[in-house]
Amino acid sequence: MQRPGDIERLYDEHASSLFAFLLNFTRNESDARDLLQEIFVKISREPQLLENVQNERAYLIRLARNLAIDYMRRRDARERAKENVAAEPPAIFALAGDPDEELFRRELTLALKDLPEEQGTVAYLKLWEGLTFEEIAEILEISPNTAASRYRYAIDKLRERLRPLYKEITNTR
Amino acid sequence: MNEEIESFEKRLKRMPLRQVPAEWREEILSAAAKAHSVPRAAAVSGNSFLSGLNRRLAAILWPHPVAWGALAAIWILIFAMNFSVRDKTPVVAEQSNVPPPEMVAELQAQRRLYAELIGSSQNDSSDVDRQKRFVPRPRSERTWLLTA
Repeated sequence: MQRPGDIERLYDEHASSLFAFLLNFTRNESDARDLLQEIFVKISREPQLLENVQNERAYLIRLARNLAIDYMRRRDARERAKENVAAEPPAIFALAGDPDEELFRRELTLALKDLPEEQGTVAYLKLWEGLTFEEIAEILEISPNTAASRYRYAIDKLRERLRPLYKEITNTR
Repeated sequence: MNEEIESFEKRLKRMPLRQVPAEWREEILSAAAKAHSVPRAAAVSGNSFLSGLNRRLAAILWPHPVAWGALAAIWILIFAMNFSVRDKTPVVAEQSNVPPPEMVAELQAQRRLYAELIGSSQNDSSDVDRQKRFVPRPRSERTWLLTA
């Protein structure tokens, strides 16, 4: 049985990571917030979900992804498309003091937004969660080879898109 | 080339992720606490069977909903085709004219005749066979069957 303190610990340990994952997945801050709350409400209601779970982070990311997929389906697709086209994606990365660095981070956010969802998710989990392809494969219910190839495609696209900016920044330093 | 990719990946990995806004912590945790304290009995009582069924179905259908939908559509199509084909038969039968009573009487007479003929021939042949098979003979007379 989960104690009230456990949910706070879970929040402090995983909320930021889940938030970034959900931002990358939904490309909408308000959706990410709603889903983050839904995750913790669900865990609070069904504490047995985390019994015998060895990797809490991986489990919570998987839960976040499943809830996000359901949530996106529930929402009106037309409304979502309109929002996505009109609005700039929310920042996934922390603000940088350096304007060049800030520009790079913003471009990276846009580049991630333009990736297909499955490639963006794998890239996010590999780069910013530091998960192995085996762990990613388990979360996304795909084979490790598929995860690796999706990652490779994603990196190639990101590199292609960010190359001019990346070269410029690395040359000036 | 590989070095370039590696340095690019390292560069991306170093990017710090945005933190979850601090003011959300209280809101989300209080919502979670409220959900924890809500008695589950109310939710479980009335529609527990339906919700349980729904959850189980969702768990089964979840991985490939499109594939399941396509399969269901194919089955519906097969049933529809089956019913449309089956429906035609009684309609055709209903539309055909009822044969005149003379023809019916003649058919019945023919049927009776055939039945008599078949019945008598079957009886005759079966009797003959039985006679052939069961006529009692001395053992010495039966050997001709083997030598023939």
